[in-house]
Amino acid sequence: MGNLSAHMEHPNSHPARGLGWGPFLLGFVPGLLQWRLGQKQRAVLALASCTALFFAGWVLVRERLFYWALLTPDENASAVLRGLARFGLPLSLPELLNLPANTLGALLCWDATPTGERLWRLPRDLEHLGGFLTGASGMLAAFWSAAAHWQLRLRRDGGASPAAPVADPALCAALSWLVPGLGHARAGQRDKGMLLGAAVVAVFALGLVFSHGHAVDRATYSVWWIAQNLFGGGSLFAALVTGPMRMVGEPPDLPLGVVLCTVAGLMNLVVMVDAYTVAERSVFPVRQPAGAAA
Amino acid sequence: MNLLLRIAVYVPVLFLIAIVIVGQHHATAADTVRAAVRRTGRWLVWSLLLVLCMLVLELLFIGW
Repeated sequence: MGNLSAHMEHPNSHPARGLGWGPFLLGFVPGLLQWRLGQKQRAVLALASCTALFFAGWVLVRERLFYWALLTPDENASAVLRGLARFGLPLSLPELLNLPANTLGALLCWDATPTGERLWRLPRDLEHLGGFLTGASGMLAAFWSAAAHWQLRLRRDGGASPAAPVADPALCAALSWLVPGLGHARAGQRDKGMLLGAAVVAVFALGLVFSHGHAVDRATYSVWWIAQNLFGGGSLFAALVTGPMRMVGEPPDLPLGVVLCTVAGLMNLVVMVDAYTVAERSVFPVRQPAGAAA
Repeated sequence: MNLLLRIAVYVPVLFLIAIVIVGQHHATAADTVRAAVRRTGRWLVWSLLLVLCMLVLELLFIGW
């Protein structure tokens, strides 16, 4: 906490340096950084939006989230992992980024009995949509955190009257999550944004074609889905359209489709970071080292 | 036929990945495409070298 106010009061002579562990860890609680920054209304909005989105999905999936975790806390898991699972910490990604709602959701439905564990494996109606919504709440929490980090950076390095960016960097990243390239368009690089967006969408679509639409399925490929979900618009499309489709015989190129959709998600992570950076550099341009122009 | 299909998928996907990677260093679509073509060519050379290395290892440890 002390670090946080120190960052806000003393200009940093090394702008590339991060903001430290304090702001990073506070970012796991939506709105907490905004509260610390004195933005009370935005803090409430951040917490409310992330919590509402999580529970809109949680009512559809409930304990299925334990089954989709990176480390499934079943009867073969260690006592430590099962203890952490009670509080929603078996790495359900990206829900973990929305820590309070994820913990509350886990506490509400944790049941370690064999009957409870059978419920984890039981498919639900609309679980594709529910899984997307809980995941989207984690992504939204990350974007709120990025917005607060941007404000902290402005206070630390922007001087007494910091210049306004061409667009909010966190908003650019969030737009790119939904529609790849939209964040670049917002930040003033429209043609480059369309090109990057087309590249991500083409790879994702190729993956869906090869897999006959079955590549993006959280219930079956939960670990792969973590990366696929980095393209939010694509995973939303899959949750609504291709995910619920019944598989009649396994497509021969299903593994290729899964890999391509995952690669598309990772490509979009690069696009999101670049969209943030393009907006950020409108205020903090990269200084070329002396003699670089020659 | 299977090999042809794999190459037909591999090369365009490599190019699309290159677009996103080199796009970070350019501001316009035209510059990005030009740089992506060069980067894809370089990656294809590395891919061929990798395949050759794997073939040599296969010959050494498994044989024909």
